[in-house]
Amino acid sequence: MPEPIFAVERLSLAHSARRGVPAVPILKDVSFTVERGQALTLVGASGSGKSSLLRCLNRLVEPSAGTVRFEGRDVRSLEPRRLRRDAAMVMQSPVLFEGTVRDNLLLRPAGVGGDYSDASLARTLGEVGLDKELLERDASTLSGGEMQRVTIARALLGDPRVLLMDEPTSALDPPNAALVVDTVSRLCESRGLTIVAATHQPELVRRLGGHLMYLVKGEARAYERVDELAARAHDGLQAFLAGERGVEAAAP
Amino acid sequence: MNPGVIDLSVWQLGLALLLVAAVALVSLRQALGLERDLALGAVRTIVQLYGVGFILAAVFAAARWYWVVLILVVMTGVATHAAVSRLSKPLPRGYSIAAAALTVSTAATLAYVIFVVVQVRPWYDPQYVIPIAGMILGNSMTGAALAGERLQGELRTRAAEVEARLVLGFSGREAAQPLVRAALRAAMIPTVNGMMTVGLVQLPGMMTGQILAGSSPLVAIRYQIVVMFMLAAATAIGALIFVRLAVRSYLTPAHQLRRYLL
Repeated sequence: MPEPIFAVERLSLAHSARRGVPAVPILKDVSFTVERGQALTLVGASGSGKSSLLRCLNRLVEPSAGTVRFEGRDVRSLEPRRLRRDAAMVMQSPVLFEGTVRDNLLLRPAGVGGDYSDASLARTLGEVGLDKELLERDASTLSGGEMQRVTIARALLGDPRVLLMDEPTSALDPPNAALVVDTVSRLCESRGLTIVAATHQPELVRRLGGHLMYLVKGEARAYERVDELAARAHDGLQAFLAGERGVEAAAP
Repeated sequence: MNPGVIDLSVWQLGLALLLVAAVALVSLRQALGLERDLALGAVRTIVQLYGVGFILAAVFAAARWYWVVLILVVMTGVATHAAVSRLSKPLPRGYSIAAAALTVSTAATLAYVIFVVVQVRPWYDPQYVIPIAGMILGNSMTGAALAGERLQGELRTRAAEVEARLVLGFSGREAAQPLVRAALRAAMIPTVNGMMTVGLVQLPGMMTGQILAGSSPLVAIRYQIVVMFMLAAATAIGALIFVRLAVRSYLTPAHQLRRYLL
Protein backbone atom coordinates (compact mmCIF):
# COMPACT_ATOMS: atom_id res chain seq x y z
CA MET A 1 0.00 0.00 0.00
CA PRO A 2 1.53 3.37 -1.01
CA GLU A 3 2.31 5.85 1.70
CA PRO A 4 -0.31 8.57 2.18
CA ILE A 5 0.88 12.08 1.30
CA PHE A 6 -0.65 13.44 4.49
CA ALA A 7 -1.29 11.44 7.63
CA VAL A 8 -2.88 13.41 10.43
CA GLU A 9 -3.13 11.82 13.84
CA ARG A 10 -5.17 13.05 16.79
CA LEU A 11 -4.67 16.68 15.91
CA SER A 12 -5.84 19.25 18.43
CA LEU A 13 -5.49 22.99 18.36
CA ALA A 14 -6.25 25.56 21.03
CA HIS A 15 -4.94 29.03 21.44
CA SER A 16 -5.20 31.49 24.26
CA ALA A 17 -4.48 35.06 23.35
CA ARG A 18 -3.09 35.89 26.76
CA ARG A 19 -1.82 34.11 29.81
CA GLY A 20 -4.63 33.39 32.22
CA VAL A 21 -7.30 33.44 29.54
CA PRO A 22 -8.59 29.88 28.99
CA ALA A 23 -7.66 28.49 25.60
CA VAL A 24 -10.48 28.16 23.09
CA PRO A 25 -10.45 24.74 21.41
CA ILE A 26 -10.36 25.08 17.63
CA LEU A 27 -9.67 21.48 16.59
CA LYS A 28 -10.33 18.37 18.68
CA ASP A 29 -8.66 15.04 18.08
CA VAL A 30 -8.87 15.01 14.29
CA SER A 31 -7.32 12.08 12.37
CA PHE A 32 -7.33 11.30 8.64
CA THR A 33 -5.10 10.46 5.72
CA VAL A 34 -4.90 11.86 2.20
CA GLU A 35 -3.67 9.54 -0.56
CA ARG A 36 -1.37 10.87 -3.25
CA GLY A 37 -3.27 12.30 -6.22
CA GLN A 38 -6.55 12.20 -4.32
CA ALA A 39 -8.68 15.03 -3.07
CA LEU A 40 -10.05 15.78 0.37
CA THR A 41 -12.62 18.46 0.88
CA LEU A 42 -13.25 19.94 4.30
CA VAL A 43 -16.83 20.99 4.79
CA GLY A 44 -18.48 22.66 7.75
CA ALA A 45 -20.00 25.86 9.04
CA SER A 46 -17.86 28.97 9.48
CA GLY A 47 -15.74 28.57 12.58
CA SER A 48 -15.78 24.78 12.42
CA GLY A 49 -11.98 24.69 12.10
CA LYS A 50 -11.56 24.02 8.37
CA SER A 51 -9.08 26.83 7.80
CA SER A 52 -7.13 26.01 10.95
CA LEU A 53 -6.88 22.38 9.90
CA LEU A 54 -5.48 23.39 6.50
CA ARG A 55 -3.02 25.71 8.16
CA CYS A 56 -1.73 22.89 10.34
CA LEU A 57 -0.92 20.90 7.20
CA ASN A 58 1.67 23.40 5.93
CA ARG A 59 2.59 24.36 9.49
CA LEU A 60 1.37 27.90 9.21
CA VAL A 61 -0.16 27.10 12.58
CA GLU A 62 1.37 24.93 15.30
CA PRO A 63 -1.03 22.27 16.64
CA SER A 64 -1.35 21.94 20.41
CA ALA A 65 -1.30 18.15 20.20
CA GLY A 66 -1.11 15.39 17.62
CA THR A 67 1.07 14.94 14.56
CA VAL A 68 0.95 15.82 10.88
CA ARG A 69 3.07 13.66 8.61
CA PHE A 70 3.91 14.79 5.09
CA GLU A 71 5.17 11.96 2.88
CA GLY A 72 5.87 9.94 6.00
CA ARG A 73 7.80 12.61 7.88
CA ASP A 74 6.61 14.65 10.81
CA VAL A 75 6.22 18.22 9.55
CA ARG A 76 8.10 19.45 12.62
CA SER A 77 11.21 17.76 11.24
CA LEU A 78 10.87 19.51 7.87
CA GLU A 79 12.09 22.97 6.91
CA PRO A 80 8.81 24.95 6.96
CA ARG A 81 9.71 27.03 3.90
CA ARG A 82 10.37 23.87 1.86
CA LEU A 83 7.17 22.25 3.15
CA ARG A 84 5.15 25.30 2.11
CA ARG A 85 6.49 25.13 -1.42
CA ASP A 86 5.77 21.40 -1.66
CA ALA A 87 2.31 21.88 -0.17
CA ALA A 88 1.34 25.21 -1.70
CA MET A 89 -1.59 27.17 -0.33
CA VAL A 90 -4.22 29.29 -1.98
CA MET A 91 -5.91 31.69 0.41
CA GLN A 92 -9.55 32.64 0.67
CA SER A 93 -9.03 36.22 -0.52
CA PRO A 94 -6.45 36.46 -3.27
CA VAL A 95 -3.40 38.50 -2.23
CA LEU A 96 -1.57 40.06 -5.15
CA PHE A 97 1.36 42.40 -4.63
CA GLU A 98 2.11 45.69 -6.31
CA GLY A 99 3.27 45.29 -9.89
CA THR A 100 2.27 43.30 -12.94
CA VAL A 101 0.93 39.78 -13.13
CA ARG A 102 4.42 38.76 -14.22
CA ASP A 103 5.95 40.34 -11.08
CA ASN A 104 3.48 38.39 -9.00
CA LEU A 105 4.19 35.11 -10.70
CA LEU A 106 7.94 35.62 -10.35
CA LEU A 107 7.66 36.35 -6.62
CA ARG A 108 9.64 33.72 -4.73
CA PRO A 109 12.37 33.56 -2.10
CA ALA A 110 15.93 33.98 -3.31
CA GLY A 111 17.62 30.75 -4.24
CA VAL A 112 14.62 28.52 -4.89
CA GLY A 113 14.72 26.52 -8.09
CA GLY A 114 12.03 25.91 -10.66
CA ASP A 115 11.19 26.98 -14.17
CA TYR A 116 10.30 30.66 -14.20
CA SER A 117 10.91 31.23 -17.91
CA ASP A 118 8.42 33.21 -19.98
CA ALA A 119 7.26 30.01 -21.62
CA SER A 120 6.61 28.46 -18.24
CA LEU A 121 4.72 31.54 -16.99
CA ALA A 122 2.55 31.54 -20.14
CA ARG A 123 1.92 27.79 -19.86
CA THR A 124 0.94 28.03 -16.22
CA LEU A 125 -1.41 30.94 -16.89
CA GLY A 126 -2.97 28.76 -19.59
CA GLU A 127 -3.44 25.97 -17.05
CA VAL A 128 -5.59 28.22 -14.90
CA GLY A 129 -7.53 29.43 -17.93
CA LEU A 130 -5.87 32.82 -18.30
CA ASP A 131 -4.35 34.34 -21.40
CA LYS A 132 -0.62 35.06 -21.49
CA GLU A 133 -1.44 38.63 -22.61
CA LEU A 134 -2.29 39.16 -18.96
CA LEU A 135 1.39 38.94 -17.95
CA GLU A 136 2.00 42.65 -18.47
CA ARG A 137 -1.24 43.78 -16.82
CA ASP A 138 -1.14 45.65 -13.53
CA ALA A 139 -2.30 43.07 -11.01
CA SER A 140 -4.62 45.52 -9.29
CA THR A 141 -6.74 45.85 -12.45
CA LEU A 142 -7.77 42.17 -12.53
CA SER A 143 -11.21 40.90 -11.60
CA GLY A 144 -11.58 38.84 -8.41
CA GLY A 145 -11.75 35.59 -10.34
CA GLU A 146 -8.67 36.47 -12.39
CA MET A 147 -6.80 37.41 -9.23
CA GLN A 148 -7.63 34.10 -7.59
CA ARG A 149 -6.50 32.21 -10.68
CA VAL A 150 -3.23 34.20 -10.73
CA THR A 151 -2.59 33.16 -7.12
CA ILE A 152 -3.24 29.54 -8.13
CA ALA A 153 -0.78 29.93 -11.02
CA ARG A 154 1.74 31.47 -8.63
CA ALA A 155 1.36 28.47 -6.32
CA LEU A 156 1.73 26.04 -9.24
CA LEU A 157 4.98 27.62 -10.42
CA GLY A 158 6.69 26.30 -7.29
CA ASP A 159 5.87 22.83 -8.66
CA PRO A 160 4.01 21.67 -5.55
CA ARG A 161 2.83 18.13 -4.90
CA VAL A 162 -0.16 19.30 -2.89
CA LEU A 163 -2.46 22.26 -3.28
CA LEU A 164 -4.12 23.43 -0.08
CA MET A 165 -7.08 25.67 -0.73
CA ASP A 166 -8.87 27.73 1.86
CA GLU A 167 -12.34 28.42 0.46
CA PRO A 168 -10.90 29.48 -2.88
CA THR A 169 -14.27 30.54 -4.27
CA SER A 170 -15.99 32.17 -1.31
CA ALA A 171 -14.75 35.69 -2.10
CA LEU A 172 -15.98 35.41 -5.70
CA ASP A 173 -19.29 35.93 -7.45
CA PRO A 174 -20.97 32.77 -8.87
CA PRO A 175 -19.63 32.96 -12.46
CA ASN A 176 -16.07 33.58 -11.24
CA ALA A 177 -16.46 30.88 -8.60
CA ALA A 178 -17.55 28.42 -11.29
CA LEU A 179 -14.45 29.26 -13.34
CA VAL A 180 -12.19 28.63 -10.35
CA VAL A 181 -13.96 25.35 -9.56
CA ASP A 182 -13.44 24.31 -13.14
CA THR A 183 -9.77 25.33 -13.07
CA VAL A 184 -9.05 23.49 -9.84
CA SER A 185 -10.79 20.25 -10.73
CA ARG A 186 -8.97 20.09 -14.07
CA LEU A 187 -5.63 20.64 -12.32
CA CYS A 188 -6.29 17.71 -10.07
CA GLU A 189 -6.52 15.46 -13.15
CA SER A 190 -3.88 17.04 -15.41
CA ARG A 191 -1.11 17.40 -12.86
CA GLY A 192 -1.99 14.50 -10.61
CA LEU A 193 -1.99 17.06 -7.80
CA THR A 194 -3.25 16.16 -4.38
CA ILE A 195 -5.81 18.72 -3.31
CA VAL A 196 -7.06 19.51 0.16
CA ALA A 197 -9.72 22.19 0.01
CA ALA A 198 -11.96 23.84 2.57
CA THR A 199 -15.13 24.82 0.80
CA HIS A 200 -18.81 25.67 1.00
CA GLN A 201 -19.35 24.77 -2.62
CA PRO A 202 -20.98 21.38 -3.33
CA GLU A 203 -19.93 21.80 -6.95
CA LEU A 204 -16.25 21.80 -5.95
CA VAL A 205 -16.72 18.76 -3.68
CA ARG A 206 -18.42 16.77 -6.49
CA ARG A 207 -15.88 17.72 -9.12
CA LEU A 208 -12.85 16.95 -6.95
CA GLY A 209 -14.19 13.63 -5.74
CA GLY A 210 -12.02 11.74 -3.28
CA HIS A 211 -13.09 12.16 0.33
CA LEU A 212 -15.18 14.63 2.23
CA MET A 213 -14.74 15.46 5.87
CA TYR A 214 -17.49 17.25 7.75
CA LEU A 215 -16.36 19.32 10.73
CA VAL A 216 -18.52 20.55 13.58
CA LYS A 217 -16.86 22.83 16.14
CA GLY A 218 -13.44 21.38 15.48
CA GLU A 219 -14.50 17.75 15.50
CA ALA A 220 -14.60 15.45 12.48
CA ARG A 221 -18.22 14.25 12.33
CA ALA A 222 -18.03 12.40 9.02
CA TYR A 223 -15.34 11.17 6.68
CA GLU A 224 -16.75 9.64 3.52
CA ARG A 225 -16.02 8.87 -0.11
CA VAL A 226 -17.73 11.48 -2.24
CA ASP A 227 -18.88 8.97 -4.91
CA GLU A 228 -20.47 6.69 -2.31
CA LEU A 229 -22.12 9.64 -0.65
CA ALA A 230 -23.67 10.82 -3.90
CA ALA A 231 -25.21 7.42 -4.49
CA ARG A 232 -26.48 7.03 -0.97
CA ALA A 233 -29.95 7.42 0.44
CA HIS A 234 -31.05 10.91 1.25
CA ASP A 235 -29.41 12.50 4.28
CA GLY A 236 -27.96 15.86 5.27
CA LEU A 237 -24.60 15.47 3.56
CA GLN A 238 -26.17 14.04 0.45
CA ALA A 239 -28.54 16.99 0.32
CA PHE A 240 -25.58 19.37 0.65
CA LEU A 241 -23.76 17.60 -2.15
CA ALA A 242 -26.82 17.85 -4.37
CA GLY A 243 -26.93 21.57 -3.65
CA GLU A 244 -30.29 21.28 -1.93
CA ARG A 245 -29.15 22.25 1.50
CA GLY A 246 -26.70 24.78 2.93
CA VAL A 247 -23.60 23.60 4.71
CA GLU A 248 -24.83 24.50 8.22
CA ALA A 249 -27.94 22.33 7.83
CA ALA A 250 -26.00 19.35 6.46
CA ALA A 251 -24.67 18.05 9.78
CA PRO A 252 -24.78 14.26 9.79
CA MET B 1 22.28 82.39 40.02
CA ASN B 2 23.18 83.28 36.48
CA PRO B 3 23.31 87.08 36.29
CA GLY B 4 21.44 87.07 32.96
CA VAL B 5 18.30 85.48 34.37
CA ILE B 6 15.44 87.10 36.28
CA ASP B 7 14.63 84.84 39.21
CA LEU B 8 10.94 83.98 39.65
CA SER B 9 9.26 84.34 43.02
CA VAL B 10 6.41 82.18 44.26
CA TRP B 11 4.10 85.18 43.69
CA GLN B 12 5.13 85.31 40.06
CA LEU B 13 4.33 81.59 39.71
CA GLY B 14 0.93 82.40 41.20
CA LEU B 15 0.39 85.01 38.50
CA ALA B 16 1.23 82.38 35.85
CA LEU B 17 -1.37 80.11 37.42
CA LEU B 18 -3.98 82.74 36.50
CA LEU B 19 -3.46 81.66 32.87
CA VAL B 20 -4.66 78.17 33.75
CA ALA B 21 -7.52 79.66 35.74
CA ALA B 22 -8.55 81.52 32.59
CA VAL B 23 -8.54 78.25 30.64
CA ALA B 24 -10.67 76.67 33.38
CA LEU B 25 -13.13 79.53 33.03
CA VAL B 26 -13.38 78.92 29.28
CA SER B 27 -13.89 75.22 29.96
CA LEU B 28 -16.73 76.01 32.39
CA ARG B 29 -18.44 78.51 30.10
CA GLN B 30 -18.20 76.23 27.05
CA ALA B 31 -19.12 73.13 29.07
CA LEU B 32 -15.95 71.34 27.94
CA GLY B 33 -15.79 69.35 31.17
CA LEU B 34 -12.01 69.77 31.36
CA GLU B 35 -11.82 71.67 34.69
CA ARG B 36 -10.97 68.65 36.82
CA ASP B 37 -8.26 67.41 34.47
CA LEU B 38 -6.96 70.93 34.13
CA ALA B 39 -6.71 71.34 37.90
CA LEU B 40 -5.06 67.94 38.26
CA GLY B 41 -2.69 68.77 35.41
CA ALA B 42 -1.73 72.08 36.98
CA VAL B 43 -1.10 70.46 40.36
CA ARG B 44 0.93 67.66 38.77
CA THR B 45 2.98 70.18 36.79
CA ILE B 46 3.88 72.01 39.99
CA VAL B 47 4.54 68.92 42.11
CA GLN B 48 6.48 66.98 39.46
CA LEU B 49 8.65 69.87 38.40
CA TYR B 50 9.40 70.91 41.99
CA GLY B 51 10.30 67.30 42.77
CA VAL B 52 12.60 67.08 39.77
CA GLY B 53 14.05 70.48 40.61
CA PHE B 54 15.03 69.42 44.12
CA ILE B 55 16.50 66.13 42.93
CA LEU B 56 18.48 67.80 40.17
CA ALA B 57 19.72 70.51 42.50
CA ALA B 58 20.98 67.79 44.86
CA VAL B 59 22.62 65.82 42.04
CA PHE B 60 24.21 68.96 40.60
CA ALA B 61 25.60 69.86 44.01
CA ALA B 62 26.93 66.36 44.66
CA ALA B 63 28.37 65.95 41.12
CA ARG B 64 29.06 62.22 41.54
CA TRP B 65 29.02 59.90 38.52
CA TYR B 66 26.90 57.27 40.29
CA TRP B 67 24.13 59.74 41.07
CA VAL B 68 24.05 60.78 37.43
CA VAL B 69 23.93 57.16 36.28
CA LEU B 70 21.15 56.42 38.76
CA ILE B 71 19.12 59.34 37.41
CA LEU B 72 19.67 58.05 33.87
CA VAL B 73 18.48 54.57 34.87
CA VAL B 74 15.33 55.99 36.48
CA MET B 75 14.65 58.16 33.42
CA THR B 76 15.06 55.13 31.15
CA GLY B 77 12.66 53.15 33.33
CA VAL B 78 10.00 55.85 33.15
CA ALA B 79 10.48 56.22 29.39
CA THR B 80 10.19 52.43 28.96
CA HIS B 81 6.90 52.41 30.82
CA ALA B 82 5.61 55.37 28.81
CA ALA B 83 6.58 53.79 25.48
CA VAL B 84 4.89 50.47 26.33
CA SER B 85 1.72 52.06 27.67
CA ARG B 86 1.31 54.07 24.48
CA LEU B 87 0.78 50.87 22.47
CA SER B 88 -2.91 50.20 21.88
CA LYS B 89 -2.52 46.42 22.22
CA PRO B 90 -0.22 44.64 24.67
CA LEU B 91 3.02 43.56 23.09
CA PRO B 92 4.50 40.24 24.26
CA ARG B 93 7.75 40.92 26.15
CA GLY B 94 6.98 44.62 25.59
CA TYR B 95 8.88 45.87 28.62
CA SER B 96 12.11 44.02 27.84
CA ILE B 97 11.93 45.11 24.22
CA ALA B 98 11.32 48.77 25.05
CA ALA B 99 13.99 48.73 27.75
CA ALA B 100 16.53 47.23 25.34
CA ALA B 101 15.68 49.67 22.57
CA LEU B 102 15.79 52.75 24.80
CA THR B 103 18.92 51.70 26.67
CA VAL B 104 20.91 50.98 23.54
CA SER B 105 19.74 54.03 21.59
CA THR B 106 20.28 56.37 24.55
CA ALA B 107 23.63 54.92 25.56
CA ALA B 108 24.97 55.02 22.00
CA THR B 109 23.75 58.51 21.14
CA LEU B 110 24.59 59.98 24.54
CA ALA B 111 28.10 58.52 24.55
CA TYR B 112 28.80 59.89 21.09
CA VAL B 113 27.52 63.38 21.94
CA ILE B 114 29.17 63.58 25.36
CA PHE B 115 32.56 62.07 24.54
CA VAL B 116 33.03 62.87 20.86
CA VAL B 117 30.95 65.90 19.88
CA VAL B 118 30.64 68.16 22.94
CA GLN B 119 33.61 66.61 24.84
CA VAL B 120 32.18 67.25 28.29
CA ARG B 121 34.72 67.08 31.17
CA PRO B 122 34.17 65.34 33.47
CA TRP B 123 31.95 63.15 31.31
CA TYR B 124 29.28 62.87 34.01
CA ASP B 125 28.84 66.65 34.44
CA PRO B 126 25.12 66.64 35.26
CA GLN B 127 24.60 70.08 33.71
CA TYR B 128 25.20 68.50 30.30
CA VAL B 129 24.45 64.81 30.70
CA ILE B 130 21.00 65.03 32.27
CA PRO B 131 19.30 67.49 29.89
CA ILE B 132 20.90 65.88 26.83
CA ALA B 133 19.93 62.38 28.01
CA GLY B 134 16.40 63.64 28.65
CA MET B 135 16.02 64.89 25.10
CA ILE B 136 17.49 61.70 23.66
CA LEU B 137 15.26 59.48 25.78
CA GLY B 138 12.15 61.48 24.98
CA ASN B 139 12.75 61.14 21.27
CA SER B 140 13.78 57.48 21.42
CA MET B 141 10.62 56.82 23.38
CA THR B 142 8.42 58.60 20.86
CA GLY B 143 10.19 56.85 18.00
CA ALA B 144 9.83 53.42 19.58
CA ALA B 145 6.18 53.97 20.51
CA LEU B 146 5.27 55.33 17.06
CA ALA B 147 7.05 52.48 15.32
CA GLY B 148 5.52 49.88 17.63
CA GLU B 149 2.02 51.25 17.29
CA ARG B 150 2.37 51.38 13.51
CA LEU B 151 3.82 47.86 13.35
CA GLN B 152 0.86 46.49 15.30
CA GLY B 153 -1.56 48.30 13.00
CA GLU B 154 0.23 47.07 9.90
CA LEU B 155 0.22 43.49 11.19
CA ARG B 156 -3.50 43.66 11.89
CA THR B 157 -4.43 45.04 8.48
CA ARG B 158 -1.82 43.19 6.44
CA ALA B 159 -1.73 39.76 8.12
CA ALA B 160 -3.06 38.11 4.96
CA GLU B 161 -0.25 39.69 2.97
CA VAL B 162 2.36 38.38 5.41
CA GLU B 163 0.88 34.90 5.21
CA ALA B 164 0.70 35.08 1.43
CA ARG B 165 4.48 35.51 1.47
CA LEU B 166 4.94 32.77 4.07
CA VAL B 167 3.05 30.25 1.94
CA LEU B 168 5.32 31.11 -0.98
CA GLY B 169 8.24 29.96 1.16
CA PHE B 170 9.53 33.29 2.43
CA SER B 171 10.99 33.47 5.93
CA GLY B 172 9.03 35.23 8.63
CA ARG B 173 11.46 38.10 8.58
CA GLU B 174 11.21 38.49 4.81
CA ALA B 175 7.43 38.21 4.92
CA ALA B 176 7.12 41.01 7.49
CA GLN B 177 9.84 43.24 6.04
CA PRO B 178 7.52 45.65 4.14
CA LEU B 179 5.53 46.18 7.34
CA VAL B 180 8.68 46.81 9.35
CA ARG B 181 9.72 49.35 6.75
CA ALA B 182 6.35 51.13 6.97
CA ALA B 183 6.64 51.25 10.76
CA LEU B 184 10.15 52.69 10.65
CA ARG B 185 9.11 55.33 8.12
CA ALA B 186 6.20 56.34 10.33
CA ALA B 187 8.56 56.73 13.27
CA MET B 188 11.15 58.74 11.34
CA ILE B 189 8.88 61.14 9.45
CA PRO B 190 8.18 63.55 12.35
CA THR B 191 11.91 63.89 13.02
CA VAL B 192 12.74 64.45 9.37
CA ASN B 193 9.94 67.00 9.07
CA GLY B 194 11.20 68.65 12.25
CA MET B 195 14.62 69.11 10.62
CA MET B 196 12.93 70.75 7.62
CA THR B 197 11.11 73.42 9.61
CA VAL B 198 13.29 73.91 12.67
CA GLY B 199 13.66 77.61 13.54
CA LEU B 200 11.14 78.69 10.90
CA VAL B 201 7.92 77.98 12.76
CA GLN B 202 9.08 78.12 16.34
CA LEU B 203 12.34 78.09 18.20
CA PRO B 204 13.13 74.72 19.75
CA GLY B 205 12.64 74.51 23.51
CA MET B 206 16.27 73.93 24.34
CA MET B 207 17.46 76.83 22.23
CA THR B 208 14.80 79.08 23.74
CA GLY B 209 15.91 78.07 27.20
CA GLN B 210 19.55 78.70 26.42
CA ILE B 211 18.80 82.16 25.03
CA LEU B 212 16.64 82.98 28.06
CA ALA B 213 19.52 81.85 30.25
CA GLY B 214 21.76 84.42 28.61
CA SER B 215 23.59 82.47 25.91
CA SER B 216 24.37 84.13 22.63
CA PRO B 217 21.96 82.95 19.92
CA LEU B 218 24.98 81.88 17.89
CA VAL B 219 26.07 79.51 20.64
CA ALA B 220 22.49 78.34 21.11
CA ILE B 221 22.02 77.45 17.45
CA ARG B 222 25.21 75.39 17.41
CA TYR B 223 23.87 73.35 20.31
CA GLN B 224 20.55 73.11 18.58
CA ILE B 225 22.17 71.75 15.41
CA VAL B 226 23.92 69.07 17.46
CA VAL B 227 20.60 68.34 19.18
CA MET B 228 18.68 67.97 15.91
CA PHE B 229 21.18 65.47 14.53
CA MET B 230 21.41 63.67 17.84
CA LEU B 231 17.62 63.34 18.05
CA ALA B 232 17.44 62.00 14.51
CA ALA B 233 19.94 59.29 15.46
CA ALA B 234 18.19 58.54 18.76
CA THR B 235 14.78 58.21 17.11
CA ALA B 236 16.11 55.99 14.34
CA ILE B 237 18.10 53.69 16.63
CA GLY B 238 15.27 53.44 19.18
CA ALA B 239 12.64 52.72 16.52
CA LEU B 240 14.86 50.28 14.65
CA ILE B 241 15.74 48.15 17.65
CA PHE B 242 12.19 48.26 18.98
CA VAL B 243 10.57 47.19 15.72
CA ARG B 244 13.17 44.53 14.94
CA LEU B 245 12.61 42.93 18.34
CA ALA B 246 8.85 43.52 18.40
CA VAL B 247 8.24 41.84 15.05
CA ARG B 248 9.98 38.76 16.39
CA SER B 249 7.30 38.52 19.08
CA TYR B 250 4.75 38.03 16.35
CA LEU B 251 6.75 35.44 14.41
CA THR B 252 8.02 32.00 15.40
CA PRO B 253 11.25 30.22 14.46
CA ALA B 254 9.10 28.01 12.20
CA HIS B 255 8.18 31.13 10.18
CA GLN B 256 4.63 31.36 11.48
CA LEU B 257 2.65 34.52 12.12
CA ARG B 258 1.14 34.37 15.62
CA ARG B 259 -2.22 35.67 14.45
CA TYR B 260 -3.93 35.14 17.78
CA LEU B 261 -1.75 37.88 19.26
CA LEU B 262 -2.90 40.52 16.78
